[in-house]
Amino acid sequence: MSGEKKELVFKKIGIAIAFSPRLEALIAEAAKMQVGLKSEMVFIHVGNKSEEDVKTLNKYLEKYNLLNNSKLIWQEGETVETILNICNEEQLDLLVAGALEKESLIKYIMGSVARKLSRKIKCSMLMLTEPKIESSPINYIVVEGSNNPKTENTIAVAIEIAKAFKVKNVDVIQETDLNKAVLIRSDEFKENEVAKHKENLIEEEDKRLNYILSCNDCGDLKINIDRIEGKPGYIISKYAREHHADLLILNSPDRKMNLIDRVFPTDIEFALADLPCNLLLVNIKED
Amino acid sequence: MNTTLSQQDTISLIFSLGVLLIVARLVGEFFRKFKMPLVVGELVAGICLGPSLLGHYFPNISTLVLNQHSNSMIAFNGITAISVIMLLFVAGMEVDLSVIRQQGKTALKTSFLGLIIPLAIGFLVAYYYYPLFGEYFTSSSKLILFSLFFGTALAVSALPIIARTLMDLGLFRSKVGMIIIIAAMFDDIVGWLLFSVILGMLKISSHSHGFLFTLGLTILYSVAMLTVGRIIINKSLPWAQKNFSWPGGFLSLSLGLAFLGAAFTEFIGIHAIFGAFIVGIAFGDSVHLTEKTREIVNQFVTNIFAPLFFVSIGFKVDFFANFDLQITLLVLVLAIATKLIGAGFGAFWGGLTKQESIAVGFGMNARGAMGIILAILALQADLINEKLFVAIVIMAVITSIMAGPALQLLVKRQIDKEQDDLDKEQDDMFV
Repeated sequence: MSGEKKELVFKKIGIAIAFSPRLEALIAEAAKMQVGLKSEMVFIHVGNKSEEDVKTLNKYLEKYNLLNNSKLIWQEGETVETILNICNEEQLDLLVAGALEKESLIKYIMGSVARKLSRKIKCSMLMLTEPKIESSPINYIVVEGSNNPKTENTIAVAIEIAKAFKVKNVDVIQETDLNKAVLIRSDEFKENEVAKHKENLIEEEDKRLNYILSCNDCGDLKINIDRIEGKPGYIISKYAREHHADLLILNSPDRKMNLIDRVFPTDIEFALADLPCNLLLVNIKED
Repeated sequence: MNTTLSQQDTISLIFSLGVLLIVARLVGEFFRKFKMPLVVGELVAGICLGPSLLGHYFPNISTLVLNQHSNSMIAFNGITAISVIMLLFVAGMEVDLSVIRQQGKTALKTSFLGLIIPLAIGFLVAYYYYPLFGEYFTSSSKLILFSLFFGTALAVSALPIIARTLMDLGLFRSKVGMIIIIAAMFDDIVGWLLFSVILGMLKISSHSHGFLFTLGLTILYSVAMLTVGRIIINKSLPWAQKNFSWPGGFLSLSLGLAFLGAAFTEFIGIHAIFGAFIVGIAFGDSVHLTEKTREIVNQFVTNIFAPLFFVSIGFKVDFFANFDLQITLLVLVLAIATKLIGAGFGAFWGGLTKQESIAVGFGMNARGAMGIILAILALQADLINEKLFVAIVIMAVITSIMAGPALQLLVKRQIDKEQDDLDKEQDDMFV
């Protein structure tokens, strides 16, 4: 564990907008974020700049008090690549985009804009499944606690967000693939040996998470460590859905995802295939 | 044609099954006390009961245990053929596609060189120096197949034994442990594919299908099973879980599909084991497969069918009469050297230290049950002689036994020290 944490706060947030029925809700969510995180907001739209669209956008920005304290970037080009370029140029810490909970199989395999962005983006990304106009408190966050060097920062981000939005509960989830770890040819083990190996693995995981949590100033926040067995990525996603989490926070993928990852899903692809709630992929930029 | 077993044959078969299962377990447990894999004990049990020992000195008692000349032997051979299909199904279930997909550069380089170097060196040595193995070929195509088989026998790894060794040493979750597991999984898939193709090519002359047709169907079967088949299995499991008694329903469905897959690959000219292996991968990859279900399938196959299969090997060959020191040493040295060089250099190329790389080499070196299965199938297909078969089995046993002590010596101390430092750091935090 490095113990060296990088910049945690999302200082500069980009909001990818489209002129869909969810535009106002997305801007309303951006306004809540600006208040909570005190971030600089950049609205990004890729497409033609018509007078009517400008009028509509300005109306909403004004309504949510964002017209004079946010930046608007309006560019033409291929949507995903253009947004990615803007993210790099503007050095955004977080990109926010609306996303459907579930796409059709073909669209999922081909990739929708939000999902394509999530697979390629270098900064963190928040996918909002149901952006709301009205105030909707975040009560419950589920965050990944896997054995990965990125986890320490991901948990730190979850705690920052929880504090900023006065979240009541945070569950740190260890996804333990004990099937593979312990039961490979379990005939090789005596019954007590299997239990002993499991205990050792669990103790090791607990120690690691307690160490991470001890390094973060959690204050009065109620943090629960839970352990679930199953396929990493799928099982935390299922947990978030079943427990009605408001936000699921995962480590960003360790490598570039491609079409094969959708055919043979790994980690975040399980979540992307069927978003259980709003999803934040944490990718802290290197200093 | 007489399609039924006489009462005497039936009694003989049932008696054999009972004795073999119990003796295999007893000897297996005895060997486990000395930290050796169960499979070694099961194999030794077969050698003791078969023509090598009991059959040599007390042939009547050996015949009583397993009468190889009665009709019951046909049924017994059928059971062992089914056993190996189920063993490969379980081996397939152990493969984790997502882990392989996520493998980093180090694991990729380790698996690549850990496969290619033994395969290439094994092939070349077998091709140019085949008389050293007591083999003589009249056709060049059979020599190529023999050389390919020998390279494959050196290239495979025994995932279960490696996993067990790493668990025992507390190295499973270490960097070295994960690299060994991932690389072994990958090498297993390629190794079994290659071996199945070799066996398929052996049959070509006696088969109605041509080689390209067979290869095409094999690729089509693999791709279809691992994509569409895997998705259908994954989607069907929750439905089956809801509507069938569970996990009994899973046992019937999964093994049923494994046999169908095996029948299909046997039909197209590739060995049945490959069909079952691929079905195993497809089932094992399902997110709905629980630990309990997986364990039941595992226990069912590995505690009933695997011992029968491994103990039966001892009855196929007289191990003492066919032991050839020169061939055994040659196979052993080649197996250890090529795996150490291949996997070790791959790991070093991938960024591990010299010591860690040698440890990876020793970890991947274990051939275990996979090496033994490969050898017996090659013997049955008349691809190798009995002396080489014995040499490969001995190599598989020795490489499996030496993996633990080698890893202990090379990395355990270093990792323990790192862990102690980390524990101390964490304890200081809590204080």
